[in-house]
Amino acid sequence: MTDTLAQPRPKNAAPWEKLGSRVRFASWITSLVPAAIFVAAWLGLQLDFMAALLTIFLPIQLAFGAWAGFYSYGRKGVNDGLLMVVTFFFSTFVLVLLASVIWSVISEGAAALSPHFIYQNNRYITGTTGLEIGGAGHAILGSVIITGITTVITVPLAIATAVYLTETRDGARGVVRTLLQALAGLPSVVAGLFIYSMLIVSGWSSQVGVMASLSLIPLMLPTISRVAEESLRLVPSELRNGALALGAPSYKAFFMVTLPAAKSGIVTAVLLGVARIIGETAPLILTAVIANETNANPLAGGMATLPTYIYNFLYLGDATSLQRAWGAALVLLIFVGILFVGARVASATRVGSKPKRRKK
Amino acid sequence: MEIQPTDSTLENMSNDVAPKRLKLRSKPSRTADKVFFAVAKAAGYSSFVLVAAILFFLMLRAWPAFESQGVVNFIFGAGWNSTTDPQIFHLGPMLYGSLLIAAIGVALAVPMAISISYFISFIAPERLAKVATVVVDLLAAIPSIVIGLWGLGVFSPVAAEWGRMLSEALGFIPIFSNAVDIFLRSPFIASLVIAVMIVPIIASITREIFSQMDQEIIKGAMALGGTRESIFRKVILPTASGGIVGGVLLALGRAMGETVAIFFVLNLTFDDFNWFKILEPSGGAVASLVLARFNEALDTELSALLAAGVVLFVVTLIVNTIASYIVAKAQPWRKL
Repeated sequence: MTDTLAQPRPKNAAPWEKLGSRVRFASWITSLVPAAIFVAAWLGLQLDFMAALLTIFLPIQLAFGAWAGFYSYGRKGVNDGLLMVVTFFFSTFVLVLLASVIWSVISEGAAALSPHFIYQNNRYITGTTGLEIGGAGHAILGSVIITGITTVITVPLAIATAVYLTETRDGARGVVRTLLQALAGLPSVVAGLFIYSMLIVSGWSSQVGVMASLSLIPLMLPTISRVAEESLRLVPSELRNGALALGAPSYKAFFMVTLPAAKSGIVTAVLLGVARIIGETAPLILTAVIANETNANPLAGGMATLPTYIYNFLYLGDATSLQRAWGAALVLLIFVGILFVGARVASATRVGSKPKRRKK
Repeated sequence: MEIQPTDSTLENMSNDVAPKRLKLRSKPSRTADKVFFAVAKAAGYSSFVLVAAILFFLMLRAWPAFESQGVVNFIFGAGWNSTTDPQIFHLGPMLYGSLLIAAIGVALAVPMAISISYFISFIAPERLAKVATVVVDLLAAIPSIVIGLWGLGVFSPVAAEWGRMLSEALGFIPIFSNAVDIFLRSPFIASLVIAVMIVPIIASITREIFSQMDQEIIKGAMALGGTRESIFRKVILPTASGGIVGGVLLALGRAMGETVAIFFVLNLTFDDFNWFKILEPSGGAVASLVLARFNEALDTELSALLAAGVVLFVVTLIVNTIASYIVAKAQPWRKL
């Protein structure tokens, strides 16, 4: 009764056949030959790198990708090959661009960095003064003070907001969440204009450090509260209900059970929040005078921070100014890197058990 | 019908009334609990206050500008000059420039971001994928002033050369024509810098959505004879499209509000619109305008700058609200 089968198996079909060697051979050819042709054409014809990449390498690579797909899997493999080529090409392009950012900061910044760059300030420094004197010490101090004040104000507020969003059953939570998301997209320059229009134009204060700290609050608040909310939500409700069932009042259940369980997530939230604001530039330019001297008093006088220090020297634009900017950028990047690694380490040791998601 | 209290806890209650029905979800009774919840509530409502205060104070100071220039003229007109009489403060070219740069930047960034997140989630071996994930997330945290520094010091000359080649090869197309033969500080370069800045943002959202995708759908498609390409096109992209669109809109909001990254790589032209000649050194950006004019601005111009802030805030607010709505829709497993 063979005619009950819809279609007989084709004679040459062999799903058990191993394709490994064909695929490997095709991939080697596809990755090596176009690259070789490209290098030959680039060096031989003296073309511009980018032009050669787009007009010679990419078409050849696409053709070879299509051939490799066809050679390995038949006609339906052609699009696979093209997809792979496009994916690898774009991914490499992005990684090269981003690596270029990191690499130029490290290489250019290291040239400007020296012991006195870390602790000296900017007094008597013009755009063309040599790198033997002067540094970003006052800016590092200013960054620490301004970021510190913002952190001290915002962290309790943001965590309390996260508590509001997870622990209460208030009706307005959806609206608050939407507003926080709106704040997360607030352009930083608008945050600066806000403090400027509220406190500085009206004459309540001049452009001092604490104003800069205030202008950073709307930028830091959504970052912390969102991550903190996420980590509080990951605490199993059994823990909470268990504490309540044992007779603990809600505030004790929160401080003694929920908060410790979500501790690492909240530390991550704070670190990400600090990393978010430490590099903000535009609001600081609007709200605090960029000082050249060391100033530890946030209530009087201008204050420089690392981002505004970079901005200032970028504005001057001389060769040595740019070098100073690179040096400060390296210091700033080190700060961000430390905060980021700290956040990764803290979130890796998360206590609240995450609902298992299937991974590949 | 009278219910006799039998439980010991009910004996304390007066016997002549029927016991009150208790709600399962009772209100906090202790003072400490009340304080705890009140503090949380106050903090929650503080974001109302914050948003309201931002809008109120900006509007308060910006009102004179809106009044003297007229709202429609302020937003859509062209020209920005504080020395003429009467002074002209019209935001049109800046606003259009912001949108143009953000749109081109996003258009350049999206294919790259999708490629790299597809690479991380579905192609790369696990160890490489982990490293690439960390790198992309770290790059999303790079301060924009550092991107601006890189843009000015390293990237601008290179990109200007690209622009020159583009205009030489494709100059017959009006978009790529350049009459002034200067290629620095053009919207093209600004969009590339913006693209570099937002690729990690889009990529980290897209990667998150790819990694949480139901593997059964993909395995099922594979079992039905799907190839890599057909699975990507017909299964992965449609499933993740909502999240990707939301991520793109979030990035668009960031791109429009970006200040220092493009301040140094873009030449601002206040007087007329640069509709499409992206290689010529004239463009606009609202946030850069604020930074450029802020130090010299006197009363009326300051008010106009604050009005520009209001417009920028409202536009990004609209984009972001749509974006977060779409992202939330696209991730039904993140129940709110």
